Amino acid sequence: MESSILTIALAGNPNSGKTTIFNNLTGTRQKVGNWPGVTVEKKEGTIHRHGYALKIVDLPGTYSLTPFSIEEIVARDFILDESPDVVIDIIDASNLERSLYLATQLRELDCRLLFALNMADVARERGIKIDADKLSELLDLPVVFTVGNRNEGIDGLLESAIALAESDVEIPRRRRVKYSKDIEVAIAEIRERLVGGATGELPYNPRWIAIKLLENDTVVRERAAAAMGQGAGALMDLVDRHRATLRDLYDDDPEIIMTDERYGFIAGIVREAVTTSTTHRRVDISRNIDLVLTNRLLGLPVFIFFIWAMFQLTFSLGAYPMAWIESGIGLLSGGLTRALPQGLFRDFLMDGLIAGVGSVIVFLPNILILFFCIALFEDTGYMARAAFLMDKIMHLIGLHGKSFIPMLMGFGCNVPAVMAARTLESERDRILTILITPFMSCSAKLPVYIILAGTFFGAQAGSVIFGIYLMGIALSILTGRLFRSTLLKGEEAPFVMELPPYRAPMLKSLMIHMWDRSKMFLKKMTGVILVGSVVVWGLSAFPRNIDYSVDYEGRIAFIREAYEASAAEASAGQRREALQAEMDRRVDEVRQARDMERAEKSYMGRLGKFMAPVFHPLGIDWRGSVALLTGFAAKEIVVSTLGILHAAGQGSEALQAALGESGMTRLSALSMMLFVLLYMPCLATVSAIRRETGSTRWMLFSIGYSTALAWGVAFAVYQGGRLLGLA
Amino acid sequence: MARRNIPEDAQGKTGLKAIHNQEKQQFRKLFSQENIDRFEDRYRILEILLQTEHHLSEAEVTEMLNENGHDFSPALIRETLDLMCHFGFLHANRFDNGRMLYEHRHLGQHHDHMICTKCGRIEEFTNESMESLQRKIAADSGFHMLQHRMEIYGICRDCLKERIPILPLTAARQGERLVVREVAGGSNVRVRLMTMGLRVGDEIEVITNLSAGQVVVALDHNRLALGRGLADKIMVRALDSQEMKAAEGGAQ
Repeated sequence: MESSILTIALAGNPNSGKTTIFNNLTGTRQKVGNWPGVTVEKKEGTIHRHGYALKIVDLPGTYSLTPFSIEEIVARDFILDESPDVVIDIIDASNLERSLYLATQLRELDCRLLFALNMADVARERGIKIDADKLSELLDLPVVFTVGNRNEGIDGLLESAIALAESDVEIPRRRRVKYSKDIEVAIAEIRERLVGGATGELPYNPRWIAIKLLENDTVVRERAAAAMGQGAGALMDLVDRHRATLRDLYDDDPEIIMTDERYGFIAGIVREAVTTSTTHRRVDISRNIDLVLTNRLLGLPVFIFFIWAMFQLTFSLGAYPMAWIESGIGLLSGGLTRALPQGLFRDFLMDGLIAGVGSVIVFLPNILILFFCIALFEDTGYMARAAFLMDKIMHLIGLHGKSFIPMLMGFGCNVPAVMAARTLESERDRILTILITPFMSCSAKLPVYIILAGTFFGAQAGSVIFGIYLMGIALSILTGRLFRSTLLKGEEAPFVMELPPYRAPMLKSLMIHMWDRSKMFLKKMTGVILVGSVVVWGLSAFPRNIDYSVDYEGRIAFIREAYEASAAEASAGQRREALQAEMDRRVDEVRQARDMERAEKSYMGRLGKFMAPVFHPLGIDWRGSVALLTGFAAKEIVVSTLGILHAAGQGSEALQAALGESGMTRLSALSMMLFVLLYMPCLATVSAIRRETGSTRWMLFSIGYSTALAWGVAFAVYQGGRLLGLA
Repeated sequence: MARRNIPEDAQGKTGLKAIHNQEKQQFRKLFSQENIDRFEDRYRILEILLQTEHHLSEAEVTEMLNENGHDFSPALIRETLDLMCHFGFLHANRFDNGRMLYEHRHLGQHHDHMICTKCGRIEEFTNESMESLQRKIAADSGFHMLQHRMEIYGICRDCLKERIPILPLTAARQGERLVVREVAGGSNVRVRLMTMGLRVGDEIEVITNLSAGQVVVALDHNRLALGRGLADKIMVRALDSQEMKAAEGGAQ
């Protein structure tokens, strides 16, 4: 239907309300967070308006187009290489100068630029009035007022964008920053050399390349050198000479002088277009909150309280819906048992599907609550403060506070956590963070702890689980220090981060974030976990015909006969009933023994037996070995595998009872929990690591290192405990 | 450089003459002690040099000698200039353009300098007891003093009065209002801070300074969290009383 597609890119500072406007424009549900560079992923949405298909691309939030971080490179490359039809620069009116800094850089790229003047209401409250017409005239571009969080001005914005794309006006070259004479001379000379000497086609507008070369932009330098072919050496000599001359002249680096001059240009615009009334300076609430929440003495205790409250809420509040889900599953399987004939299909449905998926889905409430809390931290702006407070502690690892955000998310799920490491500027920091994030015990590992600790540690289960979490943190610190001093040596990048203003969270937005992440959990459930459960069940249910060592059926028949005989003798009803109960108990015992043997002789059992020598020194039996093996697909499966192998039926209580009788001890349970904490990340995380580090070697390294560490720690704990007589 | 700041009228023509005679005598004494040949020729070279108060290059010295009817070999001139530098009669300076220039030292005539590193002002002083002390020190070590130089670098009285202490941001206390004076470190860090809105001359308020040096500062309505390494590089000064008044007036 549409004749043409227009690409519209959204650019702007972090926290300028860009993501909200993107959501308003596209209507898709996106994550709105508060830490810098939350939108590092390229997000797009296509809408249909006025006969066009509008492809709207949300660029990462950046302060400039100088390539300091991945986000800035991503944003710049998109504008340069994909040449969108229109770039909408979201201007935070309450931070006008800084927003205009990015705008001057966009202007230098010679793209069709449009301003969305956002948060003008906030600016007005602070006594800042912006004359949009004047601004539009001074910079020679359209300016549209928007209020992102009230969804105002969006239609006007789209109309202006389309009008701008349709217009064939030359992109104005007048209204851009003019540098001082010496710099302009240098730019002109380099520009001439570029135009005259290029062997291939110049990648971008030559003036811009010249400016970036003078600013010593390494990315542009490489690309310009490639375009210049043989002339590259001479060009770089020219650039270096000009840089040296300018440095002598201004007694500072040219990039500093040029940044200064851009701000000078901006100051001129602000003088013309902005009126500030100093009648009444309002109390800055965010500042006052920060006085408390980032306080030297109060900050950390408050932070620890919030984290404690988050876990407390997750597990105590989560217990109620967990019980409902469990009883629901119990009802379902009870109904199916009665409705379906005995046979392979019923076994598959009951023991494979329902037992497998059921044992995982009970944790959905926990995960929902955990993600709700994390979304709450993000949306209120507290997450950035947490990063600040953790900066000191993160220095122990040789990282800075920003790495804490991926690590904290790791407690929820390692996949988004590994992806969140993108916000780090240095590659070494990124890789190091990715390597240690899996030691943050993700929510999928929690069911394993709950079952094991619940069975063997009773009332102390909570403390033991907390200890396991701490162990993960401690080992991540040790690992970090180890790698920082060996594999990933390097300077720590300077830590600077904006603390966004506190905002009252919107329930709708919280729900969206919570749901977005929980969706990932549910997707995993329907995909990986479902398949995993079925495979595990299949391996344990086959071969169907097993050569039993004992004639179980014969024994059952014998018990029955014995009952019939004694029942005939007993006359009183009460005595009869007691005998019947005794018989049932004995039959169950025999059946359980039979199920155990069948599990042992199944394919799964054989695999477990094969693996057992590796796990034996850790106090983990063949069932545990198999469960751990299946946990590679997803950690939740460990629990369901245990359930199937112990033929425990549905619900965690049954499994706990079975585990209690399986011969496991407190010590071996602890050893297994530690192994689960540390060993290789799940399939989804491993693929995320591969993607984010861009290297199969790092992925394999992560798998190898974590598994080796897990084995070592579990071995030390189990054998050490035995030596101390704790078995 | 210091010497050229001395007003010319401080040393009269007769004074100069006397100094030069003293140098000649010392020159004669030293060279004869050292059994250096062609003393008379070398003495002419010194005389030529003593006629001017300018910095001279080797070529200029040769030219002046020629004008006075002396035709010495370049090797002799070269060697003599080196010798005189070695004995402390001459001072050689390699200037930025790579040329070596020579000037003679005013042996005997003497005053000491105090140089302000901030405004560059040079103050002269002489102190007889220090001069005699210096002579005594040299004599006690059996050292033949030709000349000495005494320069005291520091901040002059006027500059000291205006000075407001500059300190790194890590040393600031919570609640302090400061002005950013300087950001040390590479241009990358500096440009980065500038693009985030923190520039030299900006007024900031310290919201938090964790003991380990991580700092939160308020800048207008924004707050920036800075790691210790970075905060150490940001040099600040406290607001002076006038700025303080303005800031408080705005806050009310």
